[in-house]
Amino acid sequence: MPADRHKQTSKYTADRGMPGAFEGETVTRRRFMEAVTHGAGGIAAAAFGLPALGFAIGPIFKRQPFQWQIIGTTHDFSETAYVTKTITIVEGIGEAGKSIAYVRKRNPAIDNQGPQDQWDQYIALSSRCMHLGCPVRYVEAAERFICPCHGGVYNFRGEVAGGPPVRPLDRFYTYSPPAGHPGHGYVYLGPRYSVNSELQRFSPRDPGEPLDGIGQYLYPARASTAIRPSIANLPLPPTIPGTGS
Amino acid sequence: MNQAEKEQYLREYALLKNEGKPFFPYAVAKDSIMAVFVMIVIMLLSLLFGAELGPKVNPTTTTYVPRPDWYFFFLFEVLRVMRNVPKFTPMATIGIPTLCMIGLFLLPLYDRSPERLITRRPLALASGLATIACIAFLTFSGANTGSPNQVNLPVPAGLNKAQRAVFMAGEVIVGESGCEGCHELGSNGNNGPGPPLTHIGSRRAAAAIAQTLKNPTAPMPSFANLAKTSPKKFAELVQFLSDLK
Amino acid sequence: MPMPKLLKRPTPAAPNEPAPLSPVEAATEAGLTVVDWIDERTQVSQGLRWMMFRKVPKGINWAYTLGSATMFAFLNQAVTGVFLAMYYRPSVTGGAYESIRNINDNVFLGQFVHGMHKWGASVMIILIFLHMGRVFFFGAYKYPRELTWIIGVVLLILTLAMGFTGYLLPFDQRSYWATIVGVNINNTAPFLGPYIGDFLRGGPEFGATTLSRFYAIHMMLIPGLMAALIGFHLYLVMKLGISAPPWLRAKEPEAVREVVEV
Repeated sequence: MPADRHKQTSKYTADRGMPGAFEGETVTRRRFMEAVTHGAGGIAAAAFGLPALGFAIGPIFKRQPFQWQIIGTTHDFSETAYVTKTITIVEGIGEAGKSIAYVRKRNPAIDNQGPQDQWDQYIALSSRCMHLGCPVRYVEAAERFICPCHGGVYNFRGEVAGGPPVRPLDRFYTYSPPAGHPGHGYVYLGPRYSVNSELQRFSPRDPGEPLDGIGQYLYPARASTAIRPSIANLPLPPTIPGTGS
Repeated sequence: MNQAEKEQYLREYALLKNEGKPFFPYAVAKDSIMAVFVMIVIMLLSLLFGAELGPKVNPTTTTYVPRPDWYFFFLFEVLRVMRNVPKFTPMATIGIPTLCMIGLFLLPLYDRSPERLITRRPLALASGLATIACIAFLTFSGANTGSPNQVNLPVPAGLNKAQRAVFMAGEVIVGESGCEGCHELGSNGNNGPGPPLTHIGSRRAAAAIAQTLKNPTAPMPSFANLAKTSPKKFAELVQFLSDLK
Repeated sequence: MPMPKLLKRPTPAAPNEPAPLSPVEAATEAGLTVVDWIDERTQVSQGLRWMMFRKVPKGINWAYTLGSATMFAFLNQAVTGVFLAMYYRPSVTGGAYESIRNINDNVFLGQFVHGMHKWGASVMIILIFLHMGRVFFFGAYKYPRELTWIIGVVLLILTLAMGFTGYLLPFDQRSYWATIVGVNINNTAPFLGPYIGDFLRGGPEFGATTLSRFYAIHMMLIPGLMAALIGFHLYLVMKLGISAPPWLRAKEPEAVREVVEV
């Protein structure tokens, strides 16, 4: 290895005394050929690699559609007990797209934290444990939600009462149209949202992602989760014969 | 390892290799016999245990107790061990496994001593054995973790037939009431926030237990409602707990 | 080892009386001609000789068979997996679970092959850990075999990933919830986690394409990677030689000792 390996040489081929050098030429023909070879190979690989990769990661950027769904009438729910409702999370895949929501009427004495607007007149809790997504069970005697996997426990409001879960149980938007509006008397369920320990709303996160402190920045919102659909076109309940519309 | 040690090793290895035998058929014979043995084991396992298929997917379950395959039990148990510090949940899920894998991955880059004989590598011996012991212990305790909706305690000796029946009934009530969300009962249940109940009968008299169930200190829910609506169940519950000595 | 009589080249006939070849001799001749023809073009026998007749160091014992046993378990997984794929339908809406039921209940030897695949996975994981333990305690990951170890760790991770992705395919309760938990474990990685989850599920929730994604990863992406890496791992093992048991010391050859004395 020559000792003057790092010695600065002129960038012009003519100065370096290359055969066939042109005035002002800096790239040798050999280096040009090499660049063309690498470039063409790279383009060829990218030509099938990039579309395939884009195809595979496409769902990360595609927003999932969501529709309001009817989960019952206003008389089905009370302020003191949860009712278990089967809901559809993903449409078109049958049983595998279903889930469970625990629903009750909002009780102003208990639910005095977080936003209180038209979207949570009914409290609908997701049955997915916020530790790692196991199905929690509502135990009536203890008024607790209990996860069978790693021992998460939630209180009546869905807040963490013990164990490893990092945030309260996720909730669903609910909407009950006021008198005189289509769908009055029914309770509609919208997409899921997440809450932090003060029950503030966040766009839906996956289980295991804390939302307190810097959690919401460590686990950013995704472009794929469903947003709350407009209430302009609520699906109407089936008319019961003999009752009029 | 410096250059001299590298050369020393290569020379030593060349000499040992020279004294050895050809790969075929000596080593290949051993490999083939081992392969036959492996195949026999796999086939026997398949014939003896088959390939059981559980119930079909049902995301709306509230009673299913998810458990991983045996080779992920250690990870499952790490998550349970970390269950009382929700702040460190991401540490348990991602942090520890990733660190372990990086440690394993880079092993030859930080352990560069030329010594190969395990008896002269005390640190490697100790950490290797400790890792094996850890994984074995975690796998074992992960495999033995029961559902938090069940109690698996032995019936105490010296109970007559009627008392046994009450004990069994109380066991079911404890399981269904979600006590194990906060209390440890034998190998099931969570260690906290409530005290372990495995030997509660030796610490508290039946009357005191009944009193605590009716007027607990927060966050424990009251069972006064149960005592009112079904006194038989409540009596069984109290009897079961006071039998735990 | 002497060649069996059948495989020996027939002795040439005397020049003045070219005796006709017997049928056995003719067949042997034809077989050898085909082998010679292929070898002349590929020179595969050179490589085979290098691979099979290289020396392994003194003192090789049964612990050294764990690596090849792991590879054998991988082959078992590959073969049984291909045959399971002939009957499996990766459909969420009612197909996956039913097709596995069909394999178990109706297909000839179905449950046996399914069982071999299922238990083969466990056996492979046990073997891979035993093999790794052997390499660790024998110090076989040290110079010059560092890269072999690193590829081995990648293979271990890929094997566990195979276990995870394969777990969903029967689509029973166990598979579904294990997948939910497993994906959520990946999600807890800061910044990237949520997007990894979306990638694995093909969306924000367990959806229509999650199962086919796992199926493609389980039977094409990871096995392809694993086969390539096993090939590289084996090449390195052959190139660098099987490590000698660390308790053995080589005998110094006579000539060297004399030089040292002088």
